[in-house]
Amino acid sequence: MKQIRNLFFLITCLIFSGQLIGQDYYVYVTAESEDEVAVIKFDGKTARAVETIKVGVWPAEIEGPHGITVAPDGKHWYLTMAHGNPYGTLYKYSTETNEVVDQTTLGLFPATMQISKATGLLYCVNFNLHGDMVPSSVSVVDPETMTELKRITTGAMPHGSRISPDGMKQYSVAMMSGELFEIDAFKLEISRTLSLDEDEKEMHANHQKMDHSQMDHSKMDHSKMNHQKHGMQHKHSKTKPTWVIPHPTNNKVYIAGNGINKILEVDLKEWKITRKFETGKGPYNVEITPDGTKMVATYKSDGATGVWDIEKGTELAKVQNSRKVSHGIAISPDSRYAFVSVEGIGGEPGSVDVIDLETLRIVDTANIGKQAGGIVFWKMEKGHQ
Amino acid sequence: MERSLHKLAFPLLVVCLSISTILPAFSQDELSIKVEPENLVMNVGEKLKIKAYVVDKNGKRIKDRKIGYYSRKRRAVGVDSTGLVTAYAPGSYSLIIISPDEKKYLRSDYKVEVSYPPITKVEIQQVPNHIYAGTSIPLNIKVFDKMDMERKDVSVELSSANKTIANTDQFFNLHARKPGKTTITASVEGITGKLNVEIIENPVVRIELTSNAEGGRTGDVFHFTATALDKKGNKIEDAPITYTYHGVADDVSSSASGLVKDDGRFVADEAGRYTITASSGPFSASKMLQIAPRNVKRKLDLVGKGLVNDKHTSDFWIWEGVDGKDYGVTGTWGADGTAYFWDVTDPANIQKIDSIQVDARTVNDVKISEDGKICVISREGASNRKNGIVIIDVTNPRDTKIISTFTENLTGGVHNLFIYQNHVYALSAGQKYYIINIEDPKQPRIVSKFELDTPGHAIHDVWVEDGIAYSSNWSDGVYLVDVGNGIAGGSPENPVAFANYEYPSGAHHATFPFKSKSTGKFYTVLGDEIFPYGLNLNGPNVAGGFLHFVDFTDLENPEEIARFEVPGAGSHNYWIEDETLYVAFYNGGVRVVDISGELMGDLYKQGREIAWILPSAADGYIPNSPFTWGAQLYKGHIFYSDWNSGLWAAKLEPEKPENTKIQTK
Repeated sequence: MKQIRNLFFLITCLIFSGQLIGQDYYVYVTAESEDEVAVIKFDGKTARAVETIKVGVWPAEIEGPHGITVAPDGKHWYLTMAHGNPYGTLYKYSTETNEVVDQTTLGLFPATMQISKATGLLYCVNFNLHGDMVPSSVSVVDPETMTELKRITTGAMPHGSRISPDGMKQYSVAMMSGELFEIDAFKLEISRTLSLDEDEKEMHANHQKMDHSQMDHSKMDHSKMNHQKHGMQHKHSKTKPTWVIPHPTNNKVYIAGNGINKILEVDLKEWKITRKFETGKGPYNVEITPDGTKMVATYKSDGATGVWDIEKGTELAKVQNSRKVSHGIAISPDSRYAFVSVEGIGGEPGSVDVIDLETLRIVDTANIGKQAGGIVFWKMEKGHQ
Repeated sequence: MERSLHKLAFPLLVVCLSISTILPAFSQDELSIKVEPENLVMNVGEKLKIKAYVVDKNGKRIKDRKIGYYSRKRRAVGVDSTGLVTAYAPGSYSLIIISPDEKKYLRSDYKVEVSYPPITKVEIQQVPNHIYAGTSIPLNIKVFDKMDMERKDVSVELSSANKTIANTDQFFNLHARKPGKTTITASVEGITGKLNVEIIENPVVRIELTSNAEGGRTGDVFHFTATALDKKGNKIEDAPITYTYHGVADDVSSSASGLVKDDGRFVADEAGRYTITASSGPFSASKMLQIAPRNVKRKLDLVGKGLVNDKHTSDFWIWEGVDGKDYGVTGTWGADGTAYFWDVTDPANIQKIDSIQVDARTVNDVKISEDGKICVISREGASNRKNGIVIIDVTNPRDTKIISTFTENLTGGVHNLFIYQNHVYALSAGQKYYIINIEDPKQPRIVSKFELDTPGHAIHDVWVEDGIAYSSNWSDGVYLVDVGNGIAGGSPENPVAFANYEYPSGAHHATFPFKSKSTGKFYTVLGDEIFPYGLNLNGPNVAGGFLHFVDFTDLENPEEIARFEVPGAGSHNYWIEDETLYVAFYNGGVRVVDISGELMGDLYKQGREIAWILPSAADGYIPNSPFTWGAQLYKGHIFYSDWNSGLWAAKLEPEKPENTKIQTK
């Protein structure tokens, strides 16, 4: 019997040999106020920036690298630069050389993006963070030729966006209009919209309670009210959704309600909010481990990261980050580590905290340029222990 | 036991290996997209349907595969979800056809040729009424296609029916040989445009040439006037006149370069003797000019410096405080959001007296109100992404206090700003500027904004003088906006644009207005910002670009007339007082330039540079790497900030009596 156990151990060693002889993890992370992208290598104990890539074309301006993603085949990484003249730019880099291969202009402040494995197209939200509160868009780009194929109008300040596990749907949340958008990744059109504001009905009810008989509408100059422009902007979203991530298997998405300190679970079949998780202050980014068991969320205002048991809906740990402004998350394919970018304030460098999702502790921190932001997992390689 | 172990080991290994080597039911690599028809050639306006489907390696159609059609240039060629293609504009385009699949999508690029419409019309336009024998005139040829679009991509053949009367050249000039008639034919793709011309005898027998002076200095602009006369002495007003020059420089190693305009204005770069010739057909007249060196060189002495050697320095402002002493404020770049305050009462002993740190990475711009009480600084890279401006009480510059922080509509970052008559003009995210009333600095309020409506517009700077805001808008050039001057009925609440000039490089970064007292002309000086080699944050840099002088005397017809360019360096911020320009040329240091009199041509070559100085600090943030940000003349001293070393002061030595030789750098 002992020998059988040994045999299982041996086979396990063979299958997971990478972990025994050492596993290296690589992530790309942006430094938004440094116009840099860093490559972080983590060997299970130590995390460090092994390469820093200068990005952008305007030497004296901060262009703001914000969103970053790696193509499903791992050959290229893509970077959105928020500021332009005035439109932002999507850059395509080689993962082999970390040099620019191609670029295209998108909308105002292009931010998060992902490539669908089912269509091969890239879907990027145009955040328009500093613009008027008007509906913005999702740009659909052919990453092979770097051509914008379509711009799909969604809500005000769309920020977080991710593709469904089957690659056929793109989900994005509009921060200021408080909406979840589902885009058909094949037809390139919105298939469903869901309002995420809890008090919407209440607000509507309050409006019904107003005594309109006391208002002299005839004396109101409606021509100056610009109802068309502001029609959708009578309120700013209380929920302020900043991120959405589809679960790998349970047909649900999880949304960071930055303004209400909650993460919302939306059932995609029922298309309604089914659970709410009370979180730390300012949940900002949310990711789910590939095995579907844990949810990791940055609490931007707390400078912390929460790790959740999804099924139980309980927070397993709230890990204080190395600096005060927690930002993005990338999780390793083995569901073992969360790499959390932390912005810092003023002249502080940005950093990447590596959280062990088993021990729920920070293993190591790597410093990078100022305002660490967008982060994406690149690859795992066997180490050389 | 040993046997049983082996019995177990084999199946387990097989299972393990199988997990990683399970093959798909069919190989996606053997599938492809087939499109019918194989090629698509269309005419503009035409609609044609294509059909795409997935086939296996034997060409057999695979059922139930979705097909998506996408255009790479949808304004030129559109395609809908059914494959209906619509041609909007001629050219070569491609569609992307995708069949989605979770394991591996299929993709095909499909070419669409949209034919150019046939040429339908060739016109030879704007020919003068009289064409005199012996003269040459340019021909303006226009080509149009069936869609009535002007075509500039075609090759035009030009010919004359009688070349002894008049012939043509490859540059579309008509050379009138002798009196008579001929037909000029322009041909494109078999379509011709014809022009019957009659060459008449040239009545001109003499050219008279006068000038406003017989000689002067390099950089002086001379006005030549040529008059074509017939044998009775009558003026022939429509005789074409061409001005040319040649010259010999006093310095045998120099070329006698200069510039002559079509209207007879001439300027010389080098000292020497120049001959200006006016020609009309076979007749010409010449006049000579003796040009002396401009001789404006003076010495510029370093007076003092206020070192900043732990971060990059950005813009600065010098002002007289409410206590009568003199102060300065400097910003910082790519650092920790600090602004420094200096006592510069004794420019030889510049002292850092206070600092303020805000949540920002770059405090790019700093400005002081006219009364010396309010400082406004810009923020970029704030950790909460709410950048905006910070208003500071500098009544006591040794104890500055933040009055308020204003971020409304400015969260994208404020790169530059200006204070004018209780209003802050603050850029927002490089797109527009807001005008903010700060009469109550604790409660700033936006009163209006100014934004261009051109596609992809952007803005870099705004400067206000005499109620006119001059915004520098990169490729859209300078916009002159009435914000209280009255010229266009504008006010801070109602900014009204009334003039604009743009130049091809699109590098327009800063503007300074200049009213020339000696000529009455009104110029705007437009500065480039170009980094041809990028920007090294940790080492020396070399910039490019120059100053463009635009004569705005006629607001509706601005004319770019002169330039100041320092070889090997690039322009940044500058200051003009009286008729002297003080300009920072990044790695070229501060340049002091004589801009008196009428301006034309290359001011640097003309010897108008009076002096220069490099802020080189061995103990700088980047040692010995001058990278000068801006310059300001204040109470007789030239103050300048340097990206790598901080704040500096220099003083120009008095003018020497004429013909006194001085030693220059």
